[in-house]
Amino acid sequence: MRLGANVGELRTPWHERALPYLLLAPAVLVLLLLTIYPLIYAVTVSLQTRSGEWTLANFARLFSDRFFGVALLQTFIYTLAALIAEFLLGLGLALLLDSQIRARNLFRALLLIPMMLPPVVVAVIWRLIYNPNFGAINGTLKSWGLDTTKLTWIAGPQMALPSVILVDVWQWTPFMFLILLAGLQAIPQEPYEAAMIDGSSAWQTFRHITLPLLKPAILIALLLRTMDLLRIFDQIFILTQGGPGFATETISLYIYKTAFRFFDFGYAAAMSFVLLVLINFISIGYIRLLKRQEAKP
Amino acid sequence: MNAERQRTKKSSALGLMKYALLIVAVLAALLPVYWLLTISLKSEVDQFAVPPLWFAFKPTWAHYYETFFVRPFGRYLLTSSIVALTSTALALLIGTLAAYSLARFTLPANLHERISFWIISTRMFPPIVTIVPLFLMMRDLRLLNTLPALIIVYTGFNLPFVVWMMRGFFEELPRDLEEAAMVDGDSRMGALVRVILPLVAPGLAATAIFCLIICWNEFLFALILTQTDSAITMPVGIAGRVTQYEIKWGAMSAAGVVAMIPILVFALAVQRYLVRGLSLGAVKG
Repeated sequence: MRLGANVGELRTPWHERALPYLLLAPAVLVLLLLTIYPLIYAVTVSLQTRSGEWTLANFARLFSDRFFGVALLQTFIYTLAALIAEFLLGLGLALLLDSQIRARNLFRALLLIPMMLPPVVVAVIWRLIYNPNFGAINGTLKSWGLDTTKLTWIAGPQMALPSVILVDVWQWTPFMFLILLAGLQAIPQEPYEAAMIDGSSAWQTFRHITLPLLKPAILIALLLRTMDLLRIFDQIFILTQGGPGFATETISLYIYKTAFRFFDFGYAAAMSFVLLVLINFISIGYIRLLKRQEAKP
Repeated sequence: MNAERQRTKKSSALGLMKYALLIVAVLAALLPVYWLLTISLKSEVDQFAVPPLWFAFKPTWAHYYETFFVRPFGRYLLTSSIVALTSTALALLIGTLAAYSLARFTLPANLHERISFWIISTRMFPPIVTIVPLFLMMRDLRLLNTLPALIIVYTGFNLPFVVWMMRGFFEELPRDLEEAAMVDGDSRMGALVRVILPLVAPGLAATAIFCLIICWNEFLFALILTQTDSAITMPVGIAGRVTQYEIKWGAMSAAGVVAMIPILVFALAVQRYLVRGLSLGAVKG
């Protein structure tokens, strides 16, 4: 019997042998029920017409649906813009806090607050701030005598997408910062000492020591943020509902509306299938990069 | 030596700028939250004042009174609490057993690693993919607008997280611990309950708090599975009012403040485990 700890005990009773499986069974069952079953169900629904005949129409429609294309494009823009901004700001903050600083833990705790808030509350906060008439931003600018009629924030189609991206950056930069700071603090001192003896400049040290050693943490942070960004729903739903017009519609919102406003479950399922495949491909890409990173000496 | 002196000189010159930057960052992080707090305490006249009143306003509790005594937010809070606590307890129970199995037993054909990877990968599942089937499933089971619907979904939602966290905590403990207890005549389950669980209690508590936060903040499933006042959670309650035509900003803000307080307290309590929890153990903080 190779049951790890039980090596040597040749005659283990059956319940001892079954124990590892029995302990796993409830978790596996619940997850099968809540992920695999819905997935199969979704595929089935997406391949059927409303009356139950088999069809590829839902998938064919993906290619002709302009709104789907726009939602997909906007999801990518949202993901990429937020990812870059959050990464750069988070890295900057992490480097700042990794240097010699007093009250580091206090700063860290305060900077993490936005990330902890319920997304719904974050959306309420920013609706208050973005309000074109009495919001914190336009109210302040107006009191300085500035013309704010063009600063529509989430209320106007031109500014809406950047505005919702800004909210994401506000809430989730702390996440990048936290993971990158942990990564920085896990880097041993020796390479830095060696670099100091060699007389490397700060930039050289950063480029040739910090960045390569931080790479695993960077990849993890980017992977987890990308997954979350691609399925963004909560904040946008409350901030703009995807509007004005279609200006901030992302794929998750479009799927939600298709399913629960137009009750077209088949088409919604087809779209969510595409999203799943997309997320899978992207995460496999990241995991490959990570593995390659780990394989290096 | 010279280089070092130059470095310290440079760093003292940079020191001020560092703190200045950090303070700007902290203000950027906190002012929006402070703004919410002020709106929740301002009379309606003060809310719409231009320039905005950051400090000089007369605080009023009227919005809090309205939120919890005139509107049903007390009820939403209760629902959120029940759902979060029950599903966290369930996920901890089921997940800890699975995590223990994965941490301690080697299954044939590397099955334990495969199952482990599969469990964690369900976490990457975009929720939007499962909402349509889960909605139809709950409708067929006549569970729409009931707490069990949310409890079941959230339990599944938190399971991968619990398994992943607890597996890490179990693996940090030496196997000799249970083996010694088992030599003394304890069964494996007995050893788990009496020897191992007390040792992982801090990790268990941290994991529980993470689950509570996740449940408390969850919006999408709650939005789809519940619509009636008797079953909706705090986030859905807030969202329902915010998207209406005429918005009561004071009451909304008051609800928002109350919704975020328990989360902030909890988050403070798990500071030490934050990195591990958020990176699913991939980065040890």
